[in-house]
Amino acid sequence: MKKLDISKLDVLALMRYDACTRCGECTATCPTGGEAQDVELVTPRGKILRLREFYRSQYGLRARLLGPKDIPEDQLKELASRAYECTICGQCKTVCPAHLDTIEMWENMREFLVANNLAPLPAHEEIIKSIENYDNPWMQPRTQRSRWSKRIEKEVKVKDALKERCEVLFFVGCTAAYDPNIRDMAVDTARVLGSARVDFGTLGNDEGCCGSTLLRTGLIDSAKKSAEKNIALFEKVSPSFIVTSCAGCYKTIRQDYPRLGKVSAKVVHATQLVGELIEDKKLVPSKRIDAKVTFHDPCHLGRHNKLYDEPRKILESIPGLKLVEMERTREESRCCGAGGGVKTAFPDLAQKIAAMRVEDAEKTGADILATSCPFCYQSLKAALEAKGSRIRMADLMELVRESCA
Amino acid sequence: MTEGRYLKDKAWLYLPFFLFLLVISLIILLLPYDTVYVRDRTYLAAFLVSIVLCVGVFFLGTLYNVLVWMQGKGLEGAPERRLLHLLWKGSRFVLSRRFGRALSVFLKDALYLSRLKDRSVLRWFMHLMILGGFIVMFLLDLLVTFSLDFVKYQPMISEDGWAKLWIRDFAFDLVGSMVLLGLCIAAVRRFVFKPKIVRTELPDAVSIVFLLLVVLGGFLLEGIGIAGRIPGHEVNVSYSFLGYLFSLAMPAGVGQYYDQVWLIHGVMSALLIAYIPFSKLFHMIASPIAIEADGLLSNKEARAT
Repeated sequence: MKKLDISKLDVLALMRYDACTRCGECTATCPTGGEAQDVELVTPRGKILRLREFYRSQYGLRARLLGPKDIPEDQLKELASRAYECTICGQCKTVCPAHLDTIEMWENMREFLVANNLAPLPAHEEIIKSIENYDNPWMQPRTQRSRWSKRIEKEVKVKDALKERCEVLFFVGCTAAYDPNIRDMAVDTARVLGSARVDFGTLGNDEGCCGSTLLRTGLIDSAKKSAEKNIALFEKVSPSFIVTSCAGCYKTIRQDYPRLGKVSAKVVHATQLVGELIEDKKLVPSKRIDAKVTFHDPCHLGRHNKLYDEPRKILESIPGLKLVEMERTREESRCCGAGGGVKTAFPDLAQKIAAMRVEDAEKTGADILATSCPFCYQSLKAALEAKGSRIRMADLMELVRESCA
Repeated sequence: MTEGRYLKDKAWLYLPFFLFLLVISLIILLLPYDTVYVRDRTYLAAFLVSIVLCVGVFFLGTLYNVLVWMQGKGLEGAPERRLLHLLWKGSRFVLSRRFGRALSVFLKDALYLSRLKDRSVLRWFMHLMILGGFIVMFLLDLLVTFSLDFVKYQPMISEDGWAKLWIRDFAFDLVGSMVLLGLCIAAVRRFVFKPKIVRTELPDAVSIVFLLLVVLGGFLLEGIGIAGRIPGHEVNVSYSFLGYLFSLAMPAGVGQYYDQVWLIHGVMSALLIAYIPFSKLFHMIASPIAIEADGLLSNKEARAT
């Protein structure tokens, strides 16, 4: 009989499983369990009830009196698979009347599944191996990490932070560094920082994966190793600020790293830093962009970190640009479908959710769909193209760069 | 951890716990119950035995559930030791400055259910009626027990005393009606309208039906008391407005069954208490803790500046 090890579930999580009122508020707006597909087990309520039923059958009072029950392997595997059909977008946390911190719960549930040999899913294993072996999820050699900066080496001074002292450390992130379709995000961020004469540098090829993918898929020990490597480099460089253009890296470094080690520098997202630069007139968007723009709040930036105003202020500072909001915005923003490993393991599901978000954007009549996260950018751009939409996908830094040119 | 230390931790938890149970049981058993109107005191004895047992089961079940939480990661040592550690920290917290913040979180989010109000006024109202009704009823029960059995407050005892009419008759009926209204909305919503987000399984149905039976049983008992002119139900009966309405539908001679119905209602109420830790109703205990945890811990993850 397989006995579940609940010592990997947080004390707070176990309490929260009992605090669920089964009201179902979370099921209506859950992008994967409620909106894109109607599968109760994928919804927050479904996962909570099923896992609680399992561990109670082995640890509850009845189990203590009559002995623990065996849980069929296929049922455990089904729960594990369904638990990964979640983008960890945090919409359920926003709506839960019992204030359950579901973001923590889902990440912890995955850690528990990994500890009980029920996860990660085969689709994630390749990525995990890549991170463990190459320090990036894209199976790319470490030597290619700083390649993106070659394009602008004559234009912008990007310091090697390990050799020269710099005020700001730009943590580029794996996707912007390696994915040729996203590389502009790193280039544009560097250009914008350069235009404002920010003293910044990068870790070059020594930058490692932030570990977000590992954390979101429940591989805490591997994530710790990645984090410790980066933290050691941060402390060696000792910048005043660490800036990221990736919402996932931002969440990981700002929220998760402090649990694993000491990060002395202040961690900010590019939208925060650029917003301040614009406010201080160190950066003046002057070139008009005559268009209607709508902003998609990345979950890691919005619901996870409550950064809603900064990107909007930046967009409003660009002459000619008119910001129009989607019906579901800010805290209620619909997820793009890519997070939490869903895009890797369940690409069709991710695509379906992204298509719904594109429909939200189309309803506004916007010309541009802007965001501040490489994963959201990737998946929304693919959905726009698949739909043949006339909307242009843009990273926020791309628009700032255009206007500051 | 050594076995000796483990046993010591267990003793430190279980001895005070069983002492607490003993004190509660003794209070329940030794109260005079002068204003309980059952004619045959055997019924009272049967009820007292059942309530002591059920309260014991409630506290044991709750303790067991909390000890399951304590098996999770994040704390050191055996579950009993972890719980003791948390109880110790909790007692210090009550004296700290953050307690004020915890209290405001409790009032705003756990009692007033502010987030639910933002999402659905109907469901907020329904919950507020049930939760608020039960809380006020519990507080009224404490007040009435104290004034009847400890201080023998005459206006609470005499048939036409102001406290008897306004608190024991009117206020109890009012909060009972609140609970009944909330439960009726919940039942109609769940069993008739069946909105998509509602999922009714056996535990959901049992909880709501159990609650309804207990509350309706209370009004039925009051109606029988009034119709049968049982002592305590003889003058100014319209203060018990809902019980009075029930009495109008009662056949003559129903008063002879007052003792039996009183016992059934009492035992059902006791069983409901015992059922809480083993049902979805346990969220009444766990949700406020989750809300407090969110309210107090979320400061750490506060908005980036």
